[in-house]
Amino acid sequence: MKKKLFILLGVLIALVPLGLLTDAPAWGEWDSEYFKKVLGYIPQGIEILGDKFSFKVLFPDYSLPGSSDIVGYYLSAIVGALLIFVIYYLIFLAVKRKES
Amino acid sequence: MHIPDGYISPATCAVTYAIAVPLWYVGFKKLKEKLNENTLPILAALSALSFIIMMFNIPVPGGTSAHAVGAVAISILFGPWVGFVAVSLVLLIQAIIFGDGGISAWAINSLAMGFVGSFVGYYVFNALKKYKFAPFIAGYVGIVASAVVIGVILGVQPMFWSVNGEPEYFPFGLSVSLPAMIGVHLLIGIAEGILTQIVYNLVDEKMKKEVAI
Repeated sequence: MKKKLFILLGVLIALVPLGLLTDAPAWGEWDSEYFKKVLGYIPQGIEILGDKFSFKVLFPDYSLPGSSDIVGYYLSAIVGALLIFVIYYLIFLAVKRKES
Repeated sequence: MHIPDGYISPATCAVTYAIAVPLWYVGFKKLKEKLNENTLPILAALSALSFIIMMFNIPVPGGTSAHAVGAVAISILFGPWVGFVAVSLVLLIQAIIFGDGGISAWAINSLAMGFVGSFVGYYVFNALKKYKFAPFIAGYVGIVASAVVIGVILGVQPMFWSVNGEPEYFPFGLSVSLPAMIGVHLLIGIAEGILTQIVYNLVDEKMKKEVAI
C-alpha cells in the first residue's frame, strides 16, 4: 500500500531529531581542525580545495542559522523531502509532455 | 560516507565524473521509462525515505557515527539503475542545500552509495529471493560494499599525492581507511538491512508488479 510507505516516511520525519543525539562526526567527514589536532597540520589540498568549493548553503549541516538545532533539523527534513517530490514531479511532467 | 570537497584529488574527481556521467545517462533514461502516475509517488517516497534515513546518525564505537542509505530498498523494487539515479539525486540535494558531501565528490559518492550499493544489493537479493530475509541481507551487503569503495578511494589518496612528504589530500592509507569504513558499516549494515526489509514488506504484490515493469 502506498499509504503505508507515506506513514513510514511521516514517522521517520517526526523522529528525525533522534539523529542529533550523537555529535560524533562520521568517519572521514571531519572538520579541518581535526587534522590539525591529529596530524599537526591540515593537508594542503583539503585546505585549498575545501575553501575553493565552500559556498553558502541554505541549511549548513542540516541547521538553520539563528534557530535551534531541532527546528533546523525538522525544517531540513521537510524541505529535503518536499524538494525530492517536486523534482520527481517535474521529471514526470517533462516525460509526459514529450510523449503527447 | 559523504566524502567532502578536498578529500580526494582533482584527478580522482575527474576520473570518477568520467565514469559516473555515462552511467547517469543510462540510469536517468531507465528512470524516465519507469515514471508514471502509479510509480511517481512510490519512487518519490522511497527517495525521500533515503534522504531522511541519512539524517539518522547512529553512534558507532570509536568516536564516530554513520547512517543507513536506503539505496537497496529502491533498487530491489525499481531495479538497480533507478536506485543509483535516485540516490544520486538525494546526494546532489544534500551537497547543494545542506553542505553534506562535496560537489567535486558528488560522482564518487554517487558511485559508491548509489551505483555499487544498488547493484550489489540487487544481485544479492535476486540470489536469495526465495528466503524471507533476502531484503535484509541485500541491504546489509549493499551498504558494506559501498563502504569498501569509499574506503579504497580515500585510502589510495596518500599513495599518489603528497607535497613535501606530507599527504596532500586524505592523509590516511588503505590500512587505516578500509578497516575503519568496513568496521563501521558492518554495524550500520544492520540498520540498512532492517530498513530494506521493512520497506520491502510494506510494498504489496500488486505494487511490486507495477514498479517492476
